[in-house]
Amino acid sequence: MEAPPVTMMPVTGGTINMMEYLLQGSVLDQSLESLLHRLRGLCDNMEPETFLDHEMVFLLKGQQASPFVLRARRSMDKTGMPWHLRYLGQPEIGDKNRHALVRNCVDIATSENLTDFLVEMGFRMDHEFVAKGHVFRKGIMKIVVYKIFRILMPGNTESIEPLSLSYLVELSVVAPAGQDMVSDDMRNFAEQLKPLVHLEKIDPKRLM
Amino acid sequence: MSGASAVRISIESACEKQVQEVGLDGSETYLQPLSMSQNLARLAQRIDFSQGSGSEEDEPGPGGRDWASPGDAEDEEGLVKFQPSLWPWDSVRNSLRSALTETCVLYDVLGILKDKKFMTLDPVVQDPPPPKQNPQFLQLISKKKSLAGAAQILLKGAERLSKSVAENQENKRQRDFNSELLRLRQHWKLRKVGDKILGDLSYRSAGSLFPHHGTFEVIKNTDIDLDKKIPEDYCPLDVQIPSDLEGSAYIKVSIQKQAPDIGDLGTVNLFKRPLPKSKPAAEVKLLIHLSLPAENQVRLLFQFQLCTFYEIEIFGAPHWQTKLEAAQNVLLCKEIFAQLSREAVQIKSQIPHIVVKNQIISQPFPGLQLSISLCHSSNDKKSQKSASDRQSPEDHLYVLEHNLHQLIREFHKQTLSSTVMPHPASAPFGHKRMKLAGPQAFDKNDINSLQSNEGLLEKIIKQAKHIFLRRRTARTIDSLASRIEDPQIQAHWSNINDVYESSVKVLITSQGYEQICKSIQLQLNIGVEQIRVVHRDGRVITLSHQEQELQDFLLSQMSQHQVHAVQQLAKVMGWHVLSFSNHVGLGPVESIGNASAITVASPNGDYAISGSISFDCDHKMYLRVRFSSCFLLESISRY
Repeated sequence: MEAPPVTMMPVTGGTINMMEYLLQGSVLDQSLESLLHRLRGLCDNMEPETFLDHEMVFLLKGQQASPFVLRARRSMDKTGMPWHLRYLGQPEIGDKNRHALVRNCVDIATSENLTDFLVEMGFRMDHEFVAKGHVFRKGIMKIVVYKIFRILMPGNTESIEPLSLSYLVELSVVAPAGQDMVSDDMRNFAEQLKPLVHLEKIDPKRLM
Repeated sequence: MSGASAVRISIESACEKQVQEVGLDGSETYLQPLSMSQNLARLAQRIDFSQGSGSEEDEPGPGGRDWASPGDAEDEEGLVKFQPSLWPWDSVRNSLRSALTETCVLYDVLGILKDKKFMTLDPVVQDPPPPKQNPQFLQLISKKKSLAGAAQILLKGAERLSKSVAENQENKRQRDFNSELLRLRQHWKLRKVGDKILGDLSYRSAGSLFPHHGTFEVIKNTDIDLDKKIPEDYCPLDVQIPSDLEGSAYIKVSIQKQAPDIGDLGTVNLFKRPLPKSKPAAEVKLLIHLSLPAENQVRLLFQFQLCTFYEIEIFGAPHWQTKLEAAQNVLLCKEIFAQLSREAVQIKSQIPHIVVKNQIISQPFPGLQLSISLCHSSNDKKSQKSASDRQSPEDHLYVLEHNLHQLIREFHKQTLSSTVMPHPASAPFGHKRMKLAGPQAFDKNDINSLQSNEGLLEKIIKQAKHIFLRRRTARTIDSLASRIEDPQIQAHWSNINDVYESSVKVLITSQGYEQICKSIQLQLNIGVEQIRVVHRDGRVITLSHQEQELQDFLLSQMSQHQVHAVQQLAKVMGWHVLSFSNHVGLGPVESIGNASAITVASPNGDYAISGSISFDCDHKMYLRVRFSSCFLLESISRY
């Protein structure tokens, strides 16, 4: 896990030292409906919500070999919501006892001039995309089913095209570090979605 | 062979001589034809006597068949071979002899038969008859036999019928169980775990955060004896409720004078309420459905009672339904109490709240205590009966008990609705305003206002304070009105109240002089801690919760009214008002406040009357009158 270049002190204590537990999977477009139906039944009794987000990924190349990555995300369909800046650490696969991928994460709500600020700091935008889909909740678990759209013209979020014929499914929990118990709940939940979608620990390093 | 008739017919054998062999030269050697005797012997040999004698044994009558029938030519050589050395007629003679013997025997038998002395001939019976029996008895047996057969068939049919009936019943019971299960499913959350059916009593899906699992188990109640009469209230489905949720429970809220001894508080209040079985559950059920505004609670309570019966009628009170509702009520009461005691410990107030066992004690006002207790009566009858004797049922604050239920429901709703989905979707869960705090640079007050969330206990204490203040105000006004006849005091309570505020309009009038003298109108707004008095002219006076303040204020208003009334009366009578003061600083020291005084002169100026109005310690109003000109007289007239 690389330390942020801004402060060389490790971030510890309080609500800042949070970990994201993650399971991922994907479904084809045609089986999306049945998955959503299942999720509506399993998840908390709330109105199903859709979202349309624009995400930009910023890089800062320092002395280290690997660049520092920050993700800036804003909601395109809901107004008045703050931007969301997110730092994600290096994912850890862990052993068999832990059923989910774990990575350090820092979530900050920001104002909308975040991109200017990042650029001023020396970050540059690596890529951007639009995510469109559905979000569910069960307790502290968040289930996101969305499709990623490529932005054809940089900066213009109107002209987009889907990246694939499938939807990405993510089951995530943000919890304080060391609470591996949550991964058991996640595994149980993933089991209940089993025939429709297989949620697994996917190591991004292996895909590259 | 030869004859002397006109037509000569020569008869000869077709083939005169049989050819024995034909020589190589063509010469034929003939067999010598048989002589007459030889031919006869040969023919006689061909007679098959055995055949005739054989048939003779079978048939009773004489007469051999085939006597003259020629035997088969094929046997000829066999016979010849059989008795080659015997005389040619020997077999014929033997056969004839044996035939004769048999004929003789037959003749003798027939001779004996003819006499019918020693022998008779009977027709042959195929089956020998069964041993000799009575024909009637025979009939009986056959009838019995056929009847038994018929009975057998009937029995078999009956058995089959009863079996199918039993099967039907079993099916019906099974179906009943399923239909009951379906009904249960419509009202309660069920899930299957292994071979068990578990249900959920908790309010978790409604937003409760109470950690009790609240699981009940559905049991198939089919082990009932088929032969016995099925009881009326038999239900194939039963539920098993966790032992800590059994019985009935309710939250009891009461306001008392300071308890004499805090030491025995813990033992108080675990008493059983003598109520019909199904009632508490239905009550609470209704409480939950009602989301009327909190105002007008008396009426609400009334409605609530009405609907209780209605509810019971609708459901037809199936056993499991009432059971589950009661258990759910217990669970809700426990949740309320747990929440209250948690808050009681957490909240720092000037006078700390005391949590003792199943009771929370708080002091809303000095000398007064609000006690909230969880009364859970399981089947333990012994549990503190004396407590129920000690506490009269009137000190129940039903309104607050109802409001507690309502508050917890609001609390549930809040937890359910406050969690909005994050946008953008990657953001963590949480309040929207909390997320905006950073970007919009909230200051400490803003953030504090976000976090300060009034708890259940604080709200209920505030409500209790208000209720107490309202009650005491009413009591003060009533006691004044009953003690002081003139001027009269009237109170008009407003029906439209808030849980924290209610209002009363107070009128002070002099009976019989309403036309002359305008009454004083006061609007009393009773809040949580204080009473605001609004005069007709818009002046606002704030009184504290102290009873004395209100009383003094009302008395001063009454004395002012009285002076005012005298003034008005003097005007009407043509007297002149010489001086008038609401608070005179002279004269004897009054026990409360200052006296009001007025001096009036008669129309011709001969007499002047001065009067002062004051209240003594008994809250009686006195009017002292002095006649000024000729004589001085002090008369005390009591109003």
